[in-house]
Amino acid sequence: MSERTGAKGLWMWISLGLVCLLIISIYVAAYYYNESERYKRLYERAAEDLKRLLMPVNILIDYGNGTAKWYNGTLVQRESTLFEAIRRVAKVEYITGQYGVFVTHINGVGGDPNRYWIWYLWNPTTKEWTWGPVACDAYVLHEEEIVAWRYEQF
Amino acid sequence: MDYPSNIMKLPSLSTKNLSLIIMITAINLASNYAMLWIPNVKFMDLFVFISGYVMGAVPGAIVGILTWLIYGTLNPRGFNLPTLAATCVGESLYGIVGGLSAKFGLGSELSSMNTNDDKIWLVNLKFGIIGFLLTFIYDLFTNIVTGIVFGIPLIAVILQGIAFALAHEISNFFFFFFGFSSLVTLIKKLVFMGVRKYE
Repeated sequence: MSERTGAKGLWMWISLGLVCLLIISIYVAAYYYNESERYKRLYERAAEDLKRLLMPVNILIDYGNGTAKWYNGTLVQRESTLFEAIRRVAKVEYITGQYGVFVTHINGVGGDPNRYWIWYLWNPTTKEWTWGPVACDAYVLHEEEIVAWRYEQF
Repeated sequence: MDYPSNIMKLPSLSTKNLSLIIMITAINLASNYAMLWIPNVKFMDLFVFISGYVMGAVPGAIVGILTWLIYGTLNPRGFNLPTLAATCVGESLYGIVGGLSAKFGLGSELSSMNTNDDKIWLVNLKFGIIGFLLTFIYDLFTNIVTGIVFGIPLIAVILQGIAFALAHEISNFFFFFFGFSSLVTLIKKLVFMGVRKYE
């Protein structure tokens, strides 16, 4: 009988110990849940702030050898030029002439005789690529605009 | 008309107990002010529990209430009457449970143990668990009162105070675990057995 009481007492203390661990676990879980919610709110607020400062653009780099790479949703500052945008996604070499910046190399590709880097603008109405009207450092991008750099033979 | 003596009779409070109440209250206050820079980590709860354990539930509760009446009034973090009332009630719980623990023979094996006894860890663990659970009840109770007084939802009060509650409960677990048995043995030896010797 006393053995049974002793075992009962032991189990009661084990249960109470587990209750203590449960309380700690609940506290820790609630604390980290609360923290995650707080950081989520901070992240969302920061993302909203960034949206006001940045805009996404889509950039295609066509190396003219069958290799082409898209940089969709590239975030650039509002009022950025195409020159600033291409420098965000690629290593660019250039010269500055009287009409503005002329890109000579993108990611090390360029400098071949009669081949040049030309930029194009996607016209969503006609669904065609059109030549860039000005030098890349003079063209101010718009939100969600699609542009392409193509290494072309002339 | 004479009142029946059994109605008028107050619980007896010996000079020895009264002195011990004052001494432990003073120790509580000294340690509380010394540990003011560590939020929610105090020896007070253990001392109040021990007061109840060695003297009984009522003197234990008195130690808790007296400590908070002074510490809660002269506190650099400010004074708030409902919060003071809540902490007094909450703190007295340690004394009451301490008294009940002694009454129900919890830890009675301590008198026949020495510090090298293996089973002492089991007794310490029991009191560590009691300390933790009592502190949880105390924190919950004072949080409820704080929420009501300041008009803050209970969940928000609990969430804001999780770190403090954890510090309070875990520190008390360790204080009760490491401090209870040795302090009770010491107090019993010094105060109670010593007095009996010279009686």
